[in-house]
Amino acid sequence: MTDQLMAARRQRVQTAMAEREIQALVLGRQDNVGYATGMRRLWTSGTRPFGAGCVLIGATGRAHLLSSWDSGVPESVPFDDLYPLTWNPEIMGGAMKAIEGLPTAHRIGVDACSPGFIRAASRFAPKAEIVPCDDLMADVRSIKLDEELDLIRRACQVAWAGVNAVLDQPKHELPLSLALTATTNQGATIPSSKPIVRFDGNATIVDIGVIVDLYEGGVGGRFVDGHREGNPHLAGACRDGATHDDLAASATGRWLVRGLGMGYETPVLDPTRGRDCTLRTGMVLSVTDGDHRDVVAVREGPPDVLSVNSRTVAGS
Amino acid sequence: MSPFFGMGHPEAVTLLSSEPLPDLGRMQSERLMLLQQRMADQAVAGAVLLHGPHVAYATGYVTSAVDSTHAVHDRAVAIIGAQGPAHLFANDPPPALIAETHLPLSPELDESIPELADALRMVIDGRDRPRIAIDELTGAMLRSGLFDDFDTVDASRVLGPARLLKTEDELACIDRAQRINEVAMEEVRGFCVPGTRRSQLAAVFVNRVRELGVEDILIDPIFQPMPKNRSDPPRTSTGHVAFPTGVGDPTFAEGDVVWVDTGIDVEGYASDYGRTWIVGREPNQAERTLFARWAAVMDASLRAIRPGATLAEVARAATKADGGLRPWLPHFYLSHGVGVESAEMPMIGTDLGYSFDENFTLKTGMVLVLEPVTWEDGVGGYRAEEIVAVTEDGWRPLGGQPGYSPFDT
Repeated sequence: MTDQLMAARRQRVQTAMAEREIQALVLGRQDNVGYATGMRRLWTSGTRPFGAGCVLIGATGRAHLLSSWDSGVPESVPFDDLYPLTWNPEIMGGAMKAIEGLPTAHRIGVDACSPGFIRAASRFAPKAEIVPCDDLMADVRSIKLDEELDLIRRACQVAWAGVNAVLDQPKHELPLSLALTATTNQGATIPSSKPIVRFDGNATIVDIGVIVDLYEGGVGGRFVDGHREGNPHLAGACRDGATHDDLAASATGRWLVRGLGMGYETPVLDPTRGRDCTLRTGMVLSVTDGDHRDVVAVREGPPDVLSVNSRTVAGS
Repeated sequence: MSPFFGMGHPEAVTLLSSEPLPDLGRMQSERLMLLQQRMADQAVAGAVLLHGPHVAYATGYVTSAVDSTHAVHDRAVAIIGAQGPAHLFANDPPPALIAETHLPLSPELDESIPELADALRMVIDGRDRPRIAIDELTGAMLRSGLFDDFDTVDASRVLGPARLLKTEDELACIDRAQRINEVAMEEVRGFCVPGTRRSQLAAVFVNRVRELGVEDILIDPIFQPMPKNRSDPPRTSTGHVAFPTGVGDPTFAEGDVVWVDTGIDVEGYASDYGRTWIVGREPNQAERTLFARWAAVMDASLRAIRPGATLAEVARAATKADGGLRPWLPHFYLSHGVGVESAEMPMIGTDLGYSFDENFTLKTGMVLVLEPVTWEDGVGGYRAEEIVAVTEDGWRPLGGQPGYSPFDT
């Protein structure tokens, strides 16, 4: 991931803050922190309780990060702009108060919140209104930059390495171990989604998702003799302007179309959700129809498939 | 020698737990009772829970260990009233839950808030501004104003005290998770040789754990080569070393001192395995001395653990055993609890301060993960973790105590 990409993403967030008249943006979700600053943190599974992981200030243009060390912190954030891990709400309140531009903010954006944070904010920023800004981050993130597409392609290749490892040894007793060893040996030691390998007659059904360099990749399918079956129309229907009805009409099985970037993103469309969503050029989507999953970038015409199996391309 | 070290036999590591297997139904009903008692104590009329470990505690529904973004969008939600069953809103809940199950909610999405409102009304009477405990307000929940007519408090106020005292079934889950974690890591140790990368060790660990029947890895496996001096990079706010950074894929070289830390999940309960390994050689005399200091700290800490002892007494015993130095990482603790989360109360020696430790008393059923660190600039540090449960007459170990190889005990 280049410094240019990190700077471009941060600028997009700062611009969106200015448009919404948000003087300070407090991010608790680690994927949002990663997007806005490029920070890397130890991966832990599942949800995390809300806490201020990052504070962006409009007036100063500074990003302040929760970290007791500079490892994983991008060079664009100086050491003095870190506030350390603490178990003590008083110390955290003091750290928030010390951030230039936060106590004087009138509108503090948050990507999520908790009753405790609202009470704490009433002390460290007494004049501030707390404004939900999950949608600000979601909107900024939904349209991908070119380098993001490259990073997602690369992550999809790692997912394919997992799939190919399963297909290469069809009689192996522990096929999931083959997949996880293959992805882990490419540095992706964490799955993004629950890995699936199962057998149905002579077919092997595999679905692998990984996070590589903070970006997600994934692929899934039903394979017979090493070849993926079917070419569902759903991925092809993911074009600029496509609606829920368009996607529902193209799906043949249990389907899910959802944003993909630094993990699972919006929009989320499935038979019951996302009825008012319209796809836009630049979105990247994980498209599942039955056992089949691809990652595509939405275009005016047919989408770019980012989850192309390099082995197939090389062999074809 | 302390009783703990006397039990350390690497060859004796076994999955055959001395604990009875957990009775999951009993565990669920006892936890719900504890939670509703804590709610009654604090006049909390209902709880709305979105955080995975909270949902697991209240309903028994354990989500897969996936990326936080997936956990957020696919999350289960629990709503608990002052009495009656727990209500679980989730995809494909297993049949054995005692909670009442419903179709999933998507509190991330504005369009799903009306369904959340219906669910809330089903359990909690909204008249007279009732107090409800809630652990997260999503943007959609904030925008909707759904909770404006409630007196909202952090859910940790009721879940924290409930979770503090473990039932026998909870202890059995932790014990089992820890034993499986230990067996896997004792095998991984053999692969920690010069030229190996962290990711390769992670692959061995993940696969061995799966063979032992556990799918969920709670933390990206940590195998971190440590510096020899506190002033070495990375730069820290404490002046001590940075751990765990969780960044990069280092290749191990002969002589590296590697701090390892892994955690897995059994029925929603976390394990916590920490050791210090040395790559490609035996520990030298200075490193053995560090380990001896660590063992003395562990021994002294254990001797201080009993119902009625304060956290400060344990911290003082540990500090005295290391000649007045505080033998733990200053950004962490001497000890933390473990349960549905990898690090929970009680925590000893944090920046909550001395008065917190002085006013917190150990009780039977609490769990402590002791993780002292002894350090000598120029040599490095020794760190390892052990889990104990506080019992009526002191403590008992959870896990199989596989020893500290390559350090002798």
